[in-house]
Order: sequence, then C-alpha cells, then structure tokens
Amino acid sequence: MSENVITVSNLVKKYGEFIAVNSIDFHIERGEVFSLLGPNGAGKTTTVEILEGVRNRTSGEVSVLGTDPEKSRSLIRKLGILPQDFSFIYNSTPNEALSFYKKTMHASASIEELLELVELKEKMNTPFQKLSGGQRQKLGLALAMVNDPEILFLDEPTSGLDPRARRNIWKVIENLKKRGKTILLTTHYLEEAELLADRVAIMNKGKIIDMGTPMEIVERHHANDRLIIRGDAEIGTLIENAGFKALRNGAYIEVSLNSIKDAIELINFLYDKKAKFEDFTLKRESLEDVFVKMVGELEDYENE
Amino acid sequence: MKMSNIAAYFILHAKSYFRSWSAIFFQIGFPVILMLLFGAIFSGSSYTPSTLIVQNDSPSPVSWGVVSAINDSGLFHVQVINNNVNLSQYIIKNSVGAALLIPANFTSNFYSGHAYVILMGEASPQVSSIDYQMLDGVLAEINYKLANASQKLVLISQVSSGVSDKTVNYYVPGLIGFTVLTPMFNMVYQVPNYRKEKIFRQLSFSGLTKSEWMIANILHSFVMLVISDIVLVLIAIKVFGASLILTPATILLSALIVFVGLIFFIGLGILAGLVSDNEETVSVVGNLILFPMMLLSGVFFPLSFAPSYLQVISKFLPLTYFINALNSTLIYGNYYTIYIQLLLLAVSSFIVFLIAARVFSWKQK
Repeated sequence: MSENVITVSNLVKKYGEFIAVNSIDFHIERGEVFSLLGPNGAGKTTTVEILEGVRNRTSGEVSVLGTDPEKSRSLIRKLGILPQDFSFIYNSTPNEALSFYKKTMHASASIEELLELVELKEKMNTPFQKLSGGQRQKLGLALAMVNDPEILFLDEPTSGLDPRARRNIWKVIENLKKRGKTILLTTHYLEEAELLADRVAIMNKGKIIDMGTPMEIVERHHANDRLIIRGDAEIGTLIENAGFKALRNGAYIEVSLNSIKDAIELINFLYDKKAKFEDFTLKRESLEDVFVKMVGELEDYENE
Repeated sequence: MKMSNIAAYFILHAKSYFRSWSAIFFQIGFPVILMLLFGAIFSGSSYTPSTLIVQNDSPSPVSWGVVSAINDSGLFHVQVINNNVNLSQYIIKNSVGAALLIPANFTSNFYSGHAYVILMGEASPQVSSIDYQMLDGVLAEINYKLANASQKLVLISQVSSGVSDKTVNYYVPGLIGFTVLTPMFNMVYQVPNYRKEKIFRQLSFSGLTKSEWMIANILHSFVMLVISDIVLVLIAIKVFGASLILTPATILLSALIVFVGLIFFIGLGILAGLVSDNEETVSVVGNLILFPMMLLSGVFFPLSFAPSYLQVISKFLPLTYFINALNSTLIYGNYYTIYIQLLLLAVSSFIVFLIAARVFSWKQK
C-alpha cells in the first residue's frame, strides 16, 4: 500500500474577509508528481506555502511527512523548495549559495554535480544579479536539491522562462521523477502539468474543482474526439453513408467520433472502398482545452 | 541555535559584502575622509588675525593710538575706512562680520574719562561675540597701561599631566561613534529589501534561523568596525599626531564598548527597517534616526556648546554613553569610571535587541 507523505484536510486560509483557500482536501503519495493547476490568484502558492511552513493557516489539518509544518522546525531539512519569484542575495554567486546551503543543511551533495545537473556550471562564479531569469531558476532548483529532499515543492518553476529554458527545467524535473522524488508542482502551464504530473488538482478561486490523472480529467470533461481527413467531396459522401456525421471545411472533412474505435472502423471502411484520401489526424481535447472550459464554465455560472 | 549556521552565513555575507564597493566606502572610506577633514581643520596651531574694519569719526592722536594698539595686539588686522562712508551700509554690502566705530565725541570723552567705542555687528552673532570678547580683552589691556596698573589676577590654561591637548584626539571617539552607525543604516536598508525580494524566506529554507542571521550580522559588522576603527586610529596617530592611551586594557575595553554599542544599533536598524516598507520611507526613517543621533551625541562637536534642553535630550541617546565611554578610555585612560556608561549602554542594547528579535518575523503574513 502506498504511503501518503502529504495530507491536506479541510484547509482554509483567510486574509480578513477574503478567502484565499476555501476548504480543500487532497493527499500526495510517496514518489508521486502532483500538480496544483490554476489561474493566477487561484490559491496555489498560498496552499504550497502553508505546506512548507512559511505561512500559517486559518483552519484545517495539514500533515507533511507525518508532522505539522506550522509546528515542526526540523521539517525544512527534509524538504526542497523552489518558491515562486525565487531570489537570492544579489552579490552572492551560485557556488557560494550552494556552499552555504550545503553547510546549513549538513548535506553531502557535490556542488559541481548539482551545477552540472542544472547546466549552470559555467556561471558558478557569477553574482546572482548578473544571472538571467532562466539561470536564476536553475540556481533555485539546485538549491532545492542540495539536501537530497524527500519532497520537492516547485512553485511555478518555469514561469517567465523562454521555451528552451523551460524544456531544460522539465528535463531536470523528469530526472527527479525517475529518481522517485515526491514533487508538488504548481503551474499555470497546462502542457507542463500534462507532461510531468501523475495527478492534477485544478484550483480556481481557492477551491479544487477537479482532481485526477490528466487523462481522467480530460475523459471526464472533454468533448467528442474528431477525425480530420483531407479528401474530396466523394469521400465526404462515403463517410455519411457509413453513418458518421461529417463537416466539410475547405480541403478537410471533420468527423465526430464517439470513441477511438470509431476512427479505426472508419479508416478501415474507407480503405476497403479504395477511397482516395491524402492524410488523416485524430484530434483529442488536451488538458488545456478542458481546463479553459472548466474555469470558463465556473465563471459563467458565478456570473449568472 | 547553531554556531555552524552562524559561521556559514557570516562567510556568505562577507563574500557578498566585499563585492559591494559602496558598502566598503561607507564603512571605511567615508569615516577616513571625515578623519582627514577634521584632522586637517583642527591640527593647525598658528592663529590668523581676523580683519577688523575701523571708522574713526574722532581723528586725534589718542584715537589713532587706540587703533594702533588694537592692530599691534596680533588678534586683528585693522582696515580703516573713510569717515564719509555709511558704516551700516558698508557692513551689509561687504558682508562684514563686525566693524569698530570710534564716535565723534571719543576724544573729548576720553579726556573727561568716559570714552567708548562701538562694535557694530552684522548677521552672525557668533562671529560678533568672539570679536567682542577679543576686543574687550585688548581694550582692558590698554586701560591697564593708561592707568599704569598691572593685572593682579591672571588665568593660565594648562593641560593636566598625562592628558594630551591635541584637538584631534577628541574626534577619534566621535568618529568611532560614526562608524558604528553605518551597520545600523545598512539594516534600515537591508531588512525591507530582503523582505520585498523574499530573501528572508529563501534563507529560512536553508535551515538558518532569524536569531542566527542577526548574530552573524552583528559578528560581521563587528569585524568590519574593528578594521575601520583601526584605520581611523592609525590615521589620527600617524598623520595628525593624536596621542591616545592605547594599552591592552584600553584597547580591549574599547572593543567591548564598540561590541555592546553595535548590538544596540543593529537592533535599532532592524526595528527601523521593519517600519520602512518602500524605498522612500527607508530613506526618511534612516535619516530621521541617523542625523539627530549624530548631532546630539557629540559625534562632531562637544555637547557643552549645545543649549541645556538639547543636552538633556542627549542623555537619552545611547550613542552619548558610547562616545563618553570611549572618550574616558582612549583619552583619559580612565577605564575604572566608565562602568556606569557601559552598563547603561548594555541595558539599552539588551532591551532593543530583545524587542527586535521578538517583533522581527521571517514568516509571511
């Protein structure tokens, strides 16, 4: 039976009258990559900071590695944290920052290896203020790994980075995932959550509106799959004769499917009829499509 | 609290500090410039006579004799102007500090035994007052000579044995007091900046605690103060010939005074930094604390010149005790009598540090 390393139950955080986190529940298993997904202001960072012990909660129960982060000061040594808007002492270099963390964490990690892992070795003696946004994030990630933590909290690790830097960070996170680290990843990049997370919780306005694997969430909320075929009017007629609903769009015919099996049957049918079609593509809704729809629907519902 | 954490942050902070030229300038360079400036101003021993404008409306051998005696005193360089010049307008037009008018009835009054001269002043009362006292002394001397009398009672100035009369000596404790204000000013800037940039939060992820951070800062500032104060004392001695009492006991006691005072100023800097939430308030709060303290604690001039109500205020400022204790130790070697000052400083430091440690939080609200 898998062990829960993080348990959140009925968690609430209020700032005066404003409710930033509104009675949420979830758990994270050891070795799992769990992503909190949501638009800006959804309450993701507040939730993560409560779990890290840097912010006090208003009510509810929180357990991280069996302890209450608000009360346990030693817990921090078992965690690796890359906060949102990571910053460090402006005149310190990555090498100095890592040496400092290594001493305070009593860690045995090799600074050189960590810098190599995040591809920052050539900037090891450059002051923080002269590092680019991507290089700063890489340093933050290296600092989060100094103590070989049991759990990593990565709060928007690729926010504001260019696509190349973002992919580099993903590579590091995938590497950590392979090493069996438990990771709580917050992001508003759907592609990131879909690629890296085992399970996703979608947050909006302080509430979790759905939770599951990316596939489960897509299955629950997606519209019908579509098969896009490039072909002439004759093929369109054949498809309709086979009992499918076809919509012509220029050189393309869009066919609504009830299941993936329908797509296989239709292609086989056209093949048997020796129909001439140039190519075909199966279109499924991504997590991003579902997310935009879910958050949008919620806002429409609240505005009514 | 872990010594290894304090040492780790000390090293991190020191390396970052030595990359900041402005930090080094304000901790070492600026006090050295002030030392050179004060030393140069107060090391001169020769007196340059000030110019005294004289208008003689009663020309006679007697009046010219008085003018000549004033000029020969060596205190004034007399410059006579014509009788037809309006003296009041001349003073304003030429920004003259003081001018002497010998009135038209001077000669006749002199022979009847009641002559007087008038010292006319302009805007600066301090200048006129000094001129008045000097001139009064010269006229008294003339009176004695005219009366064929001699001074029965004379005041002689003499410095106590074992104590140097070099003016620059008195600036050394004041400037050491100035150097101890720099770490406070650093805190006023650093605390809001680290909060805004969330560097405190990042440091807390390393396992470093707030108390360890505060102690590492005190130790680092102390090392920097020792360096800057050694440079100051060496310049005072080697360049301006200051004669301070430097024995192992006075050196150790001075270091103790600096350390205890530093705790107070770091604590005060943290508290001031906590109320400054943007760059504008940082500057206002920093200067509001720095300048009154600097001016009212005898950093740049002895408080005996100040009005009595300001002297009362100065008694509530720990920097006053800090400078007085250093004064007693380094100039008089009088380290047996500074315990009250050191005790008052230590109590203030303890209270301020305790409040700062209590109020200062690394947690997000």
